Amino acid sequence: MTAQTVQQGDLVTVIGLEVHVQLETDTKIFCGCSTDQTDEPNENVCPVCLGLPGALPVLNEGAVEAAVKIGKAIDADIPEETRFHRKNYYYPDLPKNFQITQYDEPICADGDLEISVEGERRTVTIERAHLEEDPGSLQHVGGGGGIDSADYTLVNYNRAGTPLMEVVTAPDFRSPGEVRAFLAELEEVLEYLGVFDAERDGSLRIDANLSIIPEDEIESDDVTEIGEEALAAANRTEVKNISSHKGAEKALAYEETRQKNAIQRGRAVEQETRHWDESRGITVSMRSKEEEKDYRYFEEADLPPLRVSHWKDEISIPELPSARRERFQDEYTLSEEAASKLTSTKQVADFYEDVAQEFDPDLAATWVADNLLGELNYRDMEITGIESRLDEVTRLVELVATDEITAKNARETVLRSMLDDGRTPDEVVAEEGLGKTGEDEVQQAVVEAIDENPDAVADYESGDDGAINFLVGQVMQKTGGSADPGDVNQLLRAELND
Amino acid sequence: MAANIFITDERIEGDDTENEDADADGPLAGRTVAVKDNISTKGVATTCGSAMLEEYVPPYDATVISRLKEAGATIVGKANMDEFGMGSTTETSAFGPTDNPAAPGHVPGGSSGGSAAAVAAGEADLALGSDTGGSIRCPAAFCGVVGIKPTYGLVSRYGLVAYGNSLEQIGPFGETVEDAAALLDVIAGPDERDATTRDAAPDGESYAAAATGDVDGLTIGVPTELLEGADEDVVDTFWDAIADLEAQGAEYHEVSLPSVEHAVEAYYVIAMSEASSNLARFDGVRYGPETETETEGNWNETFSQVRKDGFGDEVKRRILLGTYALSAGYHDKYYKKAQDARAWVKQDFDEALSEADVLASPTMPVTPFEQGESLDDPLQMYLADANTVPVNLADLPAISVPAGESDADGLPVGLQLVGPAFGEERLIRAASALEFE
Ligand SMILES: [Zn+2]
Repeated sequence: MTAQTVQQGDLVTVIGLEVHVQLETDTKIFCGCSTDQTDEPNENVCPVCLGLPGALPVLNEGAVEAAVKIGKAIDADIPEETRFHRKNYYYPDLPKNFQITQYDEPICADGDLEISVEGERRTVTIERAHLEEDPGSLQHVGGGGGIDSADYTLVNYNRAGTPLMEVVTAPDFRSPGEVRAFLAELEEVLEYLGVFDAERDGSLRIDANLSIIPEDEIESDDVTEIGEEALAAANRTEVKNISSHKGAEKALAYEETRQKNAIQRGRAVEQETRHWDESRGITVSMRSKEEEKDYRYFEEADLPPLRVSHWKDEISIPELPSARRERFQDEYTLSEEAASKLTSTKQVADFYEDVAQEFDPDLAATWVADNLLGELNYRDMEITGIESRLDEVTRLVELVATDEITAKNARETVLRSMLDDGRTPDEVVAEEGLGKTGEDEVQQAVVEAIDENPDAVADYESGDDGAINFLVGQVMQKTGGSADPGDVNQLLRAELND
Repeated sequence: MAANIFITDERIEGDDTENEDADADGPLAGRTVAVKDNISTKGVATTCGSAMLEEYVPPYDATVISRLKEAGATIVGKANMDEFGMGSTTETSAFGPTDNPAAPGHVPGGSSGGSAAAVAAGEADLALGSDTGGSIRCPAAFCGVVGIKPTYGLVSRYGLVAYGNSLEQIGPFGETVEDAAALLDVIAGPDERDATTRDAAPDGESYAAAATGDVDGLTIGVPTELLEGADEDVVDTFWDAIADLEAQGAEYHEVSLPSVEHAVEAYYVIAMSEASSNLARFDGVRYGPETETETEGNWNETFSQVRKDGFGDEVKRRILLGTYALSAGYHDKYYKKAQDARAWVKQDFDEALSEADVLASPTMPVTPFEQGESLDDPLQMYLADANTVPVNLADLPAISVPAGESDADGLPVGLQLVGPAFGEERLIRAASALEFE
């Protein structure tokens, strides 16, 4: 690309993504080995996923089912039959030195996903999504730490054969923020479908292509439509090693600034692959040979084509986040913000609906969206971490709903103690004496306070209204703070004025 | 063993009491089987005739090995073969050539030369080979024994070290058609570990039961194209065998397979392309001799060096050609065109087999080469596969049965019969007729 001196404002950022998603299946995609993550290297392996001579792949239909669910969720075309190809390249983590993947007949083509960016709806085109096997993993030991500089490298094949779905988008993103919104939405959808575990290490891996195009090279008025010529003319970088939606935003913001600065200074942007260094917060040129890779794709004859046309009708998918968000707003009259928070994961939404069925939906929303998620977030926890204790949270909401404890105590004492000390709400209420005190007890305390403090009573009767505050304090002490100070004030005046 | 039939002559007892699956009364109890050294045997070296796998001991049994053990067979050794199945003479083996027991001084054919020689020499009652483009039928013909290349999908390939995985099948050798058929009975049948296998049990009681020699009313099609390139002596012996079948009630007529003139080219493009991918895993990380050459920690260099040292010339030639045929810019010109030719060959066979019960030709257009004769000229070797490779392209079953000896040199000549998909019984019935004289 010839160097051009242009103003920063005249530059448009264009980003496309390749997202690798590990599908949550019990067994690997071409063998019966477990997909559990284990610390013991090379534990979940067999002749097939080790690529031993003579071993043959047999397709795990569970992975295909997950892929069909994804296809339905992104409204993609699912072909009559799907087949597999070999992608040939040499790399030490690849047991067979080819990867079984899909080429010209992917299981999903031409889908889309709607995202919301700063309140605006945008549709991102998903060109294709296909199934493939994950390679093993490498551990570089000593030396410079990289594959070419380490003293030695260990290979672990536990990951080899984990089913992957590669989701390829059109170059539809105009900012790193949009990428983040897309990835968050995608994760949400995948979790709703029950085909993905965000908690799993390495379950989401992103490669992003970013180019900067001068605005005047865009023929259309609509900046979301970029001509192929303009795109082809621009040099792009491929940023690898991104593993979260937060990381994607940071990496691409860095890369965007780096390229814009280069262009503004009249330097050409080199077409290259760059590595996102999460700890340093920068992208680094991989300095590898940048020749066009030739993967010599050809059919994998060991796997006969699989007819999937009828699967689309037979496999059902649950209500997706966007639909659920809208329903929550209608059915429970929630704000868009509250509905968004409450549908952020399927578990949160399911839990909210459970609570909202039993108690007031507004109260349920406050408790789940604000109190529970807020306290969890503060502790860097997810709802999945307290899955087995959701009954206790429901019990806490019940205590509030039936007026047995104050909302303030419930939030500030009971919930926090539940999360920090692992106590049940009833234990906290009993041990901290938080139960709202009965009226008789308060009345008793009022009478006692008047009897025990004749001086204060005299002051009050001589017109010193401030003396009442002292008496309220005495009553509150006697009731362990569980009485309502306003009520106490009125009870005292009533008793004294008699 | 002067004939160099086995690479490893370790016995694996099928009726061993330690083997729970074994059955002392099984159909192969008391029978000995030689196994081609590209079929995985748990705990016993499986070299594929290559220095690359000299030290490789599989931790698992191929499905056919499990079935042999269950049937009570005794495996007597791992038989010599052309390196990774690439050759028609068993001379490309890293462990030296095998002599032909039926024609000393000559090659036993290949690539399953050791397996055929084991049966011919009486070292084993039966043998397993594999056939990617003729690797069972060629040595059967050269060693004067019976060999069956089953329909693609009849026998599990699980544990067969792949060369051309869309083309190859494991198959049996025997001294008689009935023997070979009995071994086929044991190894055939669907396998959940091989997604390309099909459930196609014999119509009759068993494959062995089909060896009745009854050819009354059988129609034989003789593809003229498969006689054209053959030696005159071979053709004469072939016609003698056809006359023999005719005398027993069979009829023959000539048929045409116009596409087979492209079959050798198409076969080699496909087989080599697949081989370039199948053999990629042998990179020195887990297999292969450690390289002495300093590669300064560059793994790419290490891979290249190990492959340069570990593979023989014929294997390297085929990997390079296959890589080329799949490369961007050449894929359509070679690989795709070869696939088109394959479809055409299939169609030709279907048509010819709609007019005849079986097709017959000489298995090999020549009699066994003398040792060392063909090594310098790979093209001559490839052309010798002209009659066998079309069958693999068409996924069909074929049998090679001794047709007699060539008048000129007294060397064995094989008759090849080809049938429709899963028509093994018909082939067995027809081929067995040549044994009843
Ligand atoms: Zn496995």
